[in-house]
Amino acid sequence: MEVEHPAAAAESNNGNQSQEQKFSVPVDSENKATEFRLLSISKPHMRAFHLSWISFFSCFVSSFAAPPLLPIIRDNLNLTATDIGNAGVASVSGAVFARVAMGTACDLVGPRLASASLILLTAPAVYFTSVINSATSYLLVRFFTGFSLATFVSTQFWMSSMFSPPVVGRANGFSGGWGNLGGGATQLIMPLVFSLIRDIGAAQFTAWRIAFFVPAFFQMLTAFSILIFGQDMPDGNFQRLKKAGEKPKDEFSKVLFHGVSNYRGWILALTYGYCFGVELTIDNIIAEYFYDRFNLKLHTAGIIAASFGLANLFSRPGGGIVSDAVSKRFGMRGRLWALWLCQTFAGVLCIILGLVGSLSVSVVVMIIFSVFVQAACGMTFGIVPFVSRRSLGVISGMTGGGGNVGAVVTQLIFFKGSRFSKERGITLMGVMIIICTLPICLIYFPQWGGMFFGPSSEKVTEEDYYLGEWNSKEQEKGSHHASLKFADNSVSERGRRLNASTRPADESTPTHV
Amino acid sequence: MASYKVVAASFLLCCLVQTCYGGVLFSSLERTIDVTASPKEGQVLSAGVDKISVTWALNNTLPSGIDSTYKTIKVKLCYAPVSQRDRPWRKMENNLSRDKTCQQKIVSKPYDASNKTSQSFEWIIGRDIPTATYFVRAYAYDQNDMEVGYGQTTNDKKSTNLFEINGVTGKHTSLDISSVCFSAFSVVSLFVFFYIEKRKGKAASSVEQKVIT
Repeated sequence: MEVEHPAAAAESNNGNQSQEQKFSVPVDSENKATEFRLLSISKPHMRAFHLSWISFFSCFVSSFAAPPLLPIIRDNLNLTATDIGNAGVASVSGAVFARVAMGTACDLVGPRLASASLILLTAPAVYFTSVINSATSYLLVRFFTGFSLATFVSTQFWMSSMFSPPVVGRANGFSGGWGNLGGGATQLIMPLVFSLIRDIGAAQFTAWRIAFFVPAFFQMLTAFSILIFGQDMPDGNFQRLKKAGEKPKDEFSKVLFHGVSNYRGWILALTYGYCFGVELTIDNIIAEYFYDRFNLKLHTAGIIAASFGLANLFSRPGGGIVSDAVSKRFGMRGRLWALWLCQTFAGVLCIILGLVGSLSVSVVVMIIFSVFVQAACGMTFGIVPFVSRRSLGVISGMTGGGGNVGAVVTQLIFFKGSRFSKERGITLMGVMIIICTLPICLIYFPQWGGMFFGPSSEKVTEEDYYLGEWNSKEQEKGSHHASLKFADNSVSERGRRLNASTRPADESTPTHV
Repeated sequence: MASYKVVAASFLLCCLVQTCYGGVLFSSLERTIDVTASPKEGQVLSAGVDKISVTWALNNTLPSGIDSTYKTIKVKLCYAPVSQRDRPWRKMENNLSRDKTCQQKIVSKPYDASNKTSQSFEWIIGRDIPTATYFVRAYAYDQNDMEVGYGQTTNDKKSTNLFEINGVTGKHTSLDISSVCFSAFSVVSLFVFFYIEKRKGKAASSVEQKVIT
């Protein structure tokens, strides 16, 4: 009988090929790396990591390249505070839908093509920033440049495809954190580039325009690097794997359905809106806050603003590492508790930030606040890879998009116009963080439990949960094999206490091939 | 007696505090200088090209000796209220150390109280002056560089005799062309990559077909 599943047939034919692939890091049954070696550029895992964080970093640099140069731009274009505020909202609102779309694109064509396409298609917006001449055109270029922030989703998707559950938290944390670093680095880079160009001899109002070619060109280069050196999955690229039958083509509508019908994705979208969304809001308003409230020079206010974003170097990865460490002992329940505690504490610090009146205490509170809010972002993406396997991209996109929605909503409620003073807005934002973090209590995985309840008494397994996304017809075709492997590898989320007692004795550790 | 001492001490402290903050209040200054500038009401000037001539002298109707502390005169280009609206970085504050109304210095000249003739200066509008509506104000400073008097070309409400300056755009044809070229390159290279990927994919699948059959 010749009826073999196409995936299995290709696997046995190419089985020799893929088994002979030697990886320089240890891998699990899906060929995902089980170790995260920061300083290596080995193909394909660590190479994917470095390509993804650098390209995401460049998108952040481009998206937030205008704020540090605003004192020059606002005089050149005759902008009002309303124009600037609207452009700030526009810069983060474009990515709301772009992130969801990016999630779906990753599921369908792979993170390599999806991210490189977005980066190359938004680079023109950054180039065109040098020819704008009005408030409207300023808003438009910031809006379209902001679309590039959707590369966050492809970064997280790529890391979740390359790294195994025990280390996926830190892989997501480092790539997300080092990318977000761009928001802080740009506050230092752009003024430097601007003054260099001006000192060479260009007039002030020309120098800033020339300066924008730097982030635009850098962005373009990162896209080329991804296309030339990157690879979607440990086994190869989507296109080749699809054609060879190793990666079955999935249906867009099914992928989308399984993503949006999973309530956990919506809860995480809301809570991410109040850690990452808050981070984006602060990126847009904090320099002005310090400048106005404490009468600092714009240069000094910019350095303080930069330090908020620069904390991402260790705080977001730290969140990912803590999430992984807690999961080793307490499983998914530990990850949920860690996220709730960290984000709630960040909310408390935000309330305090708006209330303190002295400059030095304010800076200290801001830095501690930045560490906790960014760690919460890292912890969120320690949970996202487990919500769905089939629709990982859609869930990542929803969560990422939710982050930007949070930024838009928060800026519109608290920081538009003059209803609230900035310090009152910051305190109220802190209250909103605490309220919007409570829904984490409602997240429940039947195979692992939730914050207040243990795993289901019906002994639901990881396989039951992940295979629940495929109906029997699809399972007959063999489309679900990747989910099966993932389910197997994700038993680590049970935590150490339950691991020995609930797993059958003859099953080996997740690193078997 | 003790209460008088306390009052005197706190009064002294307040004065010192005021000098600490350099907080001369604009409302405390007297309008003692007559300033005229060449732009007529509503005239539009171009930055980098046009010139402004300013002339200033002490108002001769004032009692003599009022300018005894004046050591320097600084003439500044100031934003009119319409250009300050919805722009907190140009906000007017009564405390002159925090006031942001007059950010561009035109000229600074030493003042000689004995010489009563008017002084003037011709200024080419710099290329970094932004597009806005302006008037001209002159401040008199004493030897501690504190404001002690002023004069301006407009009335107290700052509604008359305002003129506009059009700043340079900073745009260049070469920048416009470069933007278009690089953007086009960015988009076209993406499609080139797609094409190469498709060709590689076709080659790989034909190889796989051969292996299977």
